[in-house]
Amino acid sequence: MSTLWKKTYDWIDERVHLGDLVEFMGKKYVPVHRGSVWYYFGGVSLFLFIIQVLTGILLLLYYKGSEGLAFESIQFIMSKVAFGWLVRSIHSWSANLFILAAVVHMFSVFFEKSYRSPREITWLTGMLMLFLGLGFGFSGYLLPWNELAFFATKVGTDIAGVVPIVGKPIMVFLRGGEDVTGATLTRFYGFHVAVLPGIFTVLLGIHLLLVQRQGMSEPLDVEKAGAAERKTMPFFPNFLLRDLLFWLLILNLLAILAVFFPWELGKKADAFASAPAGIQPEWYFLFMFETLKLFPAKVWFLDGEVLGVMLFGVAAILWLLVPFWDRKSARGEKNRAINYVGLAAVLYIIIFSILGWFM
Amino acid sequence: MNEQTSPESRNSKRDFLKYVLGGGLLAWFASVAYPIVEYLKPPQQGEVEVSSVKVGPLNAIEKDSGTIIRFGNKPVILIRTAAGELRAFSATCTHLDCTVQYRKDMGVIWCACHNGRYDLNGRNVAGPPPRPLDEFRVVVQGADVFLSKNI
Amino acid sequence: MKKPSWISVAGLIVGWCMVVFNARAGDQCATCHGTLGDKPSSLFRKDIHHLKGVTCSGCHGGDATSDEMERAMDPKAGFIGVPKGDAVSVACATCHSNADKMKAWHSHLPTGQLELLQASVHGKLSTTGKEHIAQCTTCHGAHGIVSVKNPASPVYPLNVVATCAGCHSNAVYMRSYNPSLSVDQQEKYRTSIHGMRNAKGDAKAAACASCHGSHGILSSTDVKSAVYPAKLPGTCSKCHSDAEYMKGYGIPTDQYDKFAKSVHGIALLQKKDLGAPACNKCHGNHGATPPGVESVSKVCGTCHALNADLFSASPHKKAFDERKLPECETCHGNHEIVTATNTLIGVTPEAVCSKCHSEGEFPEGYRVAATMRGLIDSLETNEARAKSLVGDAEQKGMEVGEAKFKLRDVHQARLEARTMVHSFNEGKFRDVVGKGLAVAVLVGQEGQRAIDEYVFRRIGLGIATLIITVVAIALWLFIRRLERQQQLERTTT
Repeated sequence: MSTLWKKTYDWIDERVHLGDLVEFMGKKYVPVHRGSVWYYFGGVSLFLFIIQVLTGILLLLYYKGSEGLAFESIQFIMSKVAFGWLVRSIHSWSANLFILAAVVHMFSVFFEKSYRSPREITWLTGMLMLFLGLGFGFSGYLLPWNELAFFATKVGTDIAGVVPIVGKPIMVFLRGGEDVTGATLTRFYGFHVAVLPGIFTVLLGIHLLLVQRQGMSEPLDVEKAGAAERKTMPFFPNFLLRDLLFWLLILNLLAILAVFFPWELGKKADAFASAPAGIQPEWYFLFMFETLKLFPAKVWFLDGEVLGVMLFGVAAILWLLVPFWDRKSARGEKNRAINYVGLAAVLYIIIFSILGWFM
Repeated sequence: MNEQTSPESRNSKRDFLKYVLGGGLLAWFASVAYPIVEYLKPPQQGEVEVSSVKVGPLNAIEKDSGTIIRFGNKPVILIRTAAGELRAFSATCTHLDCTVQYRKDMGVIWCACHNGRYDLNGRNVAGPPPRPLDEFRVVVQGADVFLSKNI
Repeated sequence: MKKPSWISVAGLIVGWCMVVFNARAGDQCATCHGTLGDKPSSLFRKDIHHLKGVTCSGCHGGDATSDEMERAMDPKAGFIGVPKGDAVSVACATCHSNADKMKAWHSHLPTGQLELLQASVHGKLSTTGKEHIAQCTTCHGAHGIVSVKNPASPVYPLNVVATCAGCHSNAVYMRSYNPSLSVDQQEKYRTSIHGMRNAKGDAKAAACASCHGSHGILSSTDVKSAVYPAKLPGTCSKCHSDAEYMKGYGIPTDQYDKFAKSVHGIALLQKKDLGAPACNKCHGNHGATPPGVESVSKVCGTCHALNADLFSASPHKKAFDERKLPECETCHGNHEIVTATNTLIGVTPEAVCSKCHSEGEFPEGYRVAATMRGLIDSLETNEARAKSLVGDAEQKGMEVGEAKFKLRDVHQARLEARTMVHSFNEGKFRDVVGKGLAVAVLVGQEGQRAIDEYVFRRIGLGIATLIITVVAIALWLFIRRLERQQQLERTTT
């Protein structure tokens, strides 16, 4: 068995010179310190993304992306296709867990200030992937073409249309027309399975490449301590095996969720019916949704909603550019302020999400 | 500690663990591959299309006949009159929900349960049914006949 | 007592003459016209108004105290001549719709007749367009009016039929108002029990006004009419539920009570379902007579057509008719017909079949009855089982739309089987039930399959979890061992 492996390896090595790569991989080390547990969340996000791609590919073998057939094709998958229920529920649950993991990963990076030089590009690509992830969630949510999704999309794209000047054209672009129709569904399907994955893959490639090149970032105090004080473990096989163990457990979690909390389908969307009570976006948009509700109708000369959306836009851009305005971390100094900002953001998101859930 | 155990027992422990790990991984792989393989096999039944149903070619539907067609979870009766016109109605009798049928000899849509009758426009004309039958839309596209909900 | 003196007697005689002649003297019109010998005044002699002291001018106006024609018939004195059209009823109404005037004349008659008449069908405008169809005099007469209770009255029960028939049996006349309204009511009425008794002089038997009312007669399609289907049973029961009234006729008086408890009664009286029969549907309207023994199934069959056809072709028809058993009524009752349940058929003591069939008597029927009961019970049991399995699967979140769709066929088979009972033919019954049973069994299997799939998923999850746990633990141990090894290598180097 091992001679077969060796023979295969040698054959490839002759053509591709794997030797350097293997040596490089063998030298990868992962710092071991108090905050090491957070290192796993990048891998968990990656794992969940891979799950999404795999289950997504399986789903698109049976899903039909047109108004008349989308709902029924998912019914078909849930009831007639062998293990279709499993694939679909895992896809839906994993989508949510992916966003959760990505947000945890992002915040852990934020609090550790790992975004500082030389890892600014890693941070940028990561943030962009998070936005894309939200886009995946938003576009994927519509695909079953059920009542909840239809109205959630209506509200969501309405909000996009609120942005001054560019809002309306963006909204029409997203919707494939003035209103949410079958055209919207087809467009969202295209975004969800082609456009977003394409862009995401490029960003992911850059992100992973940089992580490989630059190695894992360490907390400032560990960095300052000498090389002798540093505890590490090899990436191969130690960290990788631990990673795999974690992923295995998450896979089990997904299976348990799929069996005991299968994802609902609800009623088919009907453009002429009135919106059912209590329309809410998915949980990861709740805090923004709830915040917008609290804005007064008019602030100054601006619509409350417009102001809210603009503020979110500004906040997102500031957050995106943190490596550039956090001068202290760039210099290698502790920056308590970042911790406070981060804590405030976490609390705000949690509190408003809870409010949004129960209101 | 490891150095205190004898080399043989250490080896056997190592082998045992490797076997368990290897076997477990194999089982895990099978438990993932099996559902995927089954999933990829197309199921027996075709799609469940509910907004519109393809009935079949027009020339396969006899004149002066009526057939029951499944529309999602509801039965629909498709009538082709002696003159060749196509009409479709809900086949659920408005009296007590039995499934109606076309009676060539009576020239009406008839319900076997309590002798309810509907004319070929779906109107209740005799017996206990209190309301006419809901109409469905029949569309001929090319050579095929399609049924859809009447909006 | 003292013997009356001749003075008191004379006084009495004089007084009597004065009263009589005063009365005459008060009505100069009647006196004059009486000598003329015209019909109205001769009729008026017997008129109740005249006997009560109302003069001709009471209706015609004018001055009844004057014997001079010009003064008596002076329009300025209020004389209206012979009132035509609506003026007739207006003239009657001046007293009869005036509660104070009626009290002054010591009458206890109601005062709403004209109002009722004007709201009724007869209150519509006639074909001339100038007056209403009927005036008071149309039915009551003009000059010889007597109390309704007086056998001489045209609206006395024994006479009212002819009075109404005056218009209502005249095809040409009725055609000018309602061509589709039949004109044979009187003919039909005479074939009915009511009509026959009425012809023999029984004033208690129902005549036209007993059911239709007198002044406020409305079309039977009007919801306020006493003969509107939902109100008709109440109208019939006014007499037929009155034990005192019905004494001597020898028929029960509990029909309304029984009917009100029946399916027909509940549907008609409570749910206002006009598809359900009122008394007239089975007994007839004007020709009201309970259906004869051999015609019961035909009468019931006007609605329950399938059951009646099957029954007529079955061996029971001849058997029942020979024994003078009233067909449908034998098993289902007549007024108190309740929903037929499975207990009606079979060989248990509650089943009606047991009334004639036993192992010793008519054993073939006994066997068939037992078989039919067994079959329909099994159909219902299987249907219930299939429904419960499918419901359970649905509760568990499994997709069972198709199975539920198939259940319709079972429901249909059950309904058809209950009708097919009336053929009393085991083969035909078995066919119908068999179809339903096959589907019920199939659906039950599908429901069970869905539940099994539900269990399979959980077991599958359990196995997968077990495998993953084993792998996870093994992996963890492997990692630990690896790291210990590495640590060992580090310390020894």
